[in-house]
Amino acid sequence: MSDATRTRPHDVFADGPSVPANADSTRVSWWLIDAWLMAARNLRRIQRTPELLMYAVVQPVMFILLFAYVFGGAIDVGSSDYKQFLMPGIFVMMVLFSSVSATTVTLAEDMQRGIIDRFRSMPMTQSSVLVGRTASEVVRTGITVAIMIVMGLLIGFRFHGGAAYALLGIALLLLFGYAFSWLGSVLGLTAPSVEAAQSAGTFWLFPFAFVSSAFVPTQSMPGWLQVYADHSPVTVTVNALRDCFMRGTFDSDGAQSLLWSVGILVVFAPLATVLYKRRSA
Amino acid sequence: MTAIQTERRPQLAPASLSRASFAITWRNLIHIKRQPEMLLDVTVQSVMFVLLFAYVFGGAINVPGGGDYKEFLLPGIMVQTMIFSSATVAIGLTNDLQKGIVDRFKSLPISRSSVLVGRSISSLIHASIGIVVMGATGLLVGWRIREGVVDAVIAIALLLLFGFAMIWLGIWVGSMMRTVESVQGLMFTVMFPLTFVANTFVPSQTMPDWLQPVAEWNPVSALTQACRELWGNGPAATTSDAWPLQHPVLMSVVWSIALAAIFAPLALAAFRRRSRD
Repeated sequence: MSDATRTRPHDVFADGPSVPANADSTRVSWWLIDAWLMAARNLRRIQRTPELLMYAVVQPVMFILLFAYVFGGAIDVGSSDYKQFLMPGIFVMMVLFSSVSATTVTLAEDMQRGIIDRFRSMPMTQSSVLVGRTASEVVRTGITVAIMIVMGLLIGFRFHGGAAYALLGIALLLLFGYAFSWLGSVLGLTAPSVEAAQSAGTFWLFPFAFVSSAFVPTQSMPGWLQVYADHSPVTVTVNALRDCFMRGTFDSDGAQSLLWSVGILVVFAPLATVLYKRRSA
Repeated sequence: MTAIQTERRPQLAPASLSRASFAITWRNLIHIKRQPEMLLDVTVQSVMFVLLFAYVFGGAINVPGGGDYKEFLLPGIMVQTMIFSSATVAIGLTNDLQKGIVDRFKSLPISRSSVLVGRSISSLIHASIGIVVMGATGLLVGWRIREGVVDAVIAIALLLLFGFAMIWLGIWVGSMMRTVESVQGLMFTVMFPLTFVANTFVPSQTMPDWLQPVAEWNPVSALTQACRELWGNGPAATTSDAWPLQHPVLMSVVWSIALAAIFAPLALAAFRRRSRD
């Protein structure tokens, strides 16, 4: 029976949105409901295992305090205050770590435990598993960003570009995280074990996040490294956030960041879907 | 009917502590052979840290006295690796306790403390691999030992002594916690501030006034300063008036003995309690 014509009993949605019994619905609406339920299931894990949220809280706070107070006095960023320079970099780095690592590991865990096999036996659209997973990561990342903003304000960081640009910057940041959570999905689906997924989800992230303008100006790097750092997606996103938060502008860096996010989505979302179908076949 | 001859089982003499410890050390090292990814933290990660800090942060961090940041950095990263060995031992021990392997050891004619001795020796070897890898990477990026062989060996001995003291902290945590995940979380929360709020990566003089005393009296700072002095790296004399940084070699020994004296009894008691459960 095709997705478009099937009907589902009302009790499937016991803890989801209310849908009339035996209602014929389009493929898209079923897919949206399934994705919503999968996202809710993933978010419920935070409720069940609060240490997941604890990790999302402790790590950013620690990084902010470390870089602001330990490295802040030693790193020369010219005329600007290091805390103002630092916070956009920390935002991007923590969003990257949160999006990629969490998606990679939890997806690999679900594959290993056979939960994905259970989903296959249910009357649901299979692609909604990945959509729900990545959507829940946006929510989790949003919580992390909120905590970082509060922490930043406490140590002296301020949004000088106005509320509209602050929100635009945060939206750009969440889109960047969402795009990379699809890359995390690809890594999680190709990892042979949870341990391998942990390595795959973190090892490359360190150089990827650090070789950028996140913590130090790229001009202070050796010439050969500066070439890469200046064109890194992390650098353009960090610079775009600095423009939004400090100057209230959205120029070429913002456009490049948007292009990177869309490009990563266009490449990795279909790839993850294909891999998922192959792995769960 | 002929009587059945009963053969007496030979008496199993308990293995000496040294033999049993060696066997368990060997068993832990075989794990590395079976799972080479266990070496990632002291190989790939160590190289990554050296290169990241040397090239990404190196140009932006000013060393007092105008020294080369790579020279200043390497002793700090080596100390950090030694400290992280306590996390390795904690995770390994919790894993063994969780899987019931320690219960199997209890059924063998070996001293129970040999499990801990073996675990600590294998962790020191594991951390030493990291020191060698980082030393080689350091030489490639321009770090050099500028003092004599004796001083260089003393610095390595101090690193191993401090690593041994920190391993007892790892054994204590590993015996107290129930899951590998909780051990990782706790060790990350403890180790990160311990290694960073020190003069490992940046001079303590550049920190805010309220943080400077914390960094200067941190045992990690004394050990890092001792290695810098013994290897001839970084500024010859620290501009800090703090006593531990004026007498770093002595303080490194004192801190190592003090930490071992505190955590060894705690670790042994926790391990006995846990392996009795």
